[in-house]
Amino acid sequence: MTAMQPESLLDWAGPIANGALVTLQIAVLAYAIGLLLGLIGASAKLSPIPPLRALATGYSTLIRAVPELLLIILLYYAGGDAIEWLLSLFGLDSRIEISGFATAVGVLAFVQGAYMTEVFRGAIVAIPRGQIEAADAFGFSRWTRFHRIVLPGMWPNALPGLSNLWLILIKDTALISVIGFNELFFTIQQAAASSRAHFVFYAAAGAIYLLMTMTSTAIFERLERRVRRGEA
Amino acid sequence: MTATNPTTDAAHQKIAITVDHLVKCFAEIEVLQDVSLAVPEGTVTSIIGSSGSGKSTLLRCLNLLERPDSGEVCIAGERFQFGNGQRIAHSDLERLRSRVTMVFQQFNLWPHLSALGNVIEAPRHVKRLGRRQARQLGEHYLEKVGMIDKRDTYPVALSGGQQQRVAIARALAMEPEILLFDEPTSALDPELVSEVLSVIRDLADEGRTMLLVTHEMHFAREVSDQVVYLDTGRIEVAGTPESVFNDPRCQKFASPTA
Ligand SMILES: Nc1ncnc2c1ncn2[C@@H]1O[C@H](COP(=O)(O)OP(=O)(O)OP(=O)(O)O)[C@@H](O)[C@H]1O
Ligand SMILES: [Mg+2]
Repeated sequence: MTAMQPESLLDWAGPIANGALVTLQIAVLAYAIGLLLGLIGASAKLSPIPPLRALATGYSTLIRAVPELLLIILLYYAGGDAIEWLLSLFGLDSRIEISGFATAVGVLAFVQGAYMTEVFRGAIVAIPRGQIEAADAFGFSRWTRFHRIVLPGMWPNALPGLSNLWLILIKDTALISVIGFNELFFTIQQAAASSRAHFVFYAAAGAIYLLMTMTSTAIFERLERRVRRGEA
Repeated sequence: MTATNPTTDAAHQKIAITVDHLVKCFAEIEVLQDVSLAVPEGTVTSIIGSSGSGKSTLLRCLNLLERPDSGEVCIAGERFQFGNGQRIAHSDLERLRSRVTMVFQQFNLWPHLSALGNVIEAPRHVKRLGRRQARQLGEHYLEKVGMIDKRDTYPVALSGGQQQRVAIARALAMEPEILLFDEPTSALDPELVSEVLSVIRDLADEGRTMLLVTHEMHFAREVSDQVVYLDTGRIEVAGTPESVFNDPRCQKFASPTA
């Protein structure tokens, strides 16, 4: 033991950088899919069709009520089984392995989508009625009204919430380590265990997360300034 | 009490809007009770009446922002009958509304678009004009309302009067057959009212077909060919400005000095 050269941060720099990259990839993809799910969820929640509303409400309520760690584990196992079951319905019996990456993205996107549903719903409801009415009065189709008036009118209201969710998401990627996928946190755990320099590695992890969140906060601030250019 | 038909001497004029026995209820209350009205092409009709008498509702029934419960509306060559369970296709609504545009009391400009952006939005995305053509059109109408210098300004940086002039340009840029104004100056500070009224007066002088809900009695008297006095959902008096403002039923509401 004493004979062994202790592994330094430098020795692990490669895997850690890789882990950080994977974390970012997971987060960006999950966020993008979450945005889409959130838009669909919010539209469903605000739609005049009761079953759609019920479905969206069920989704956002249920997901937000359960601890994310538990959801990740549940969806990891249930998700695989569900897909196998779906495939068997079509007579496809092949046991397919879902990659850890896909699982991570899928699970986090599903959770993000539930929170984004609420953010978007609130942001859309907050648009002054007159602006929507003006679109109606000028003969906008529903789709044109949505993407020309509702979406741009909603962004300023939604961005603070969305920026929050992004920060939470980056941190939630660490939860993915429980399913043994080598994103940043998992890599750090391995490095710490193997080198026994726990503090150094976890501190390094903290610094990397901090770097990611602070950079993205700056980006969100710019975005917010951009979408608010029509405001005071 | 049935509505008086317009008594304009131009009996041969084509009719732009006919409203027939229109009824509109909100939660069992008849906000419009058997309203009938005709607006000849190229004339200005003002709708006056106290608050809550149904002026806005009547105007909004014309572009179907409100769906009447029964009666009939013929507008811009389209006929809509209500109360027979017939559905109105969204495409019919879109066509109607691109030809009958509205100016709101609260302007309702879209805050994420510049003045020009607001004006060309519907021509671009409803009429599907090309960018260049829409821009020319937009600049033409901004010029007309005296707002061309502010074409790149966002609504938040405009005064109420300027916002309303942009909103008028927005309504004009669709080159509609009929313009609807719902109290266009009621949300304005007194010193800003005249700049908006003068734009509307110019439009009246051009012979546009307009319906104007207003509390500006002098202005209504001056620009209108027809005045309609609404009282609790009924047309009490209708006719030339002189006849309406001199009618005793209208006196309590709108004495000429008001
Ligand atoms: N969406 C609605 N739901 C229920 N009641 C309504 C609705 N819109 C209008 N009303 C009612 O209908 C009546 C007529 O309203 P309307 O807005 O047409 O009046 P108005 O003559 O335009 O008044 P004002 O001069 O204050 O604008 C009012 O009693 C109002 O409370
Ligand atoms: Mg009104």
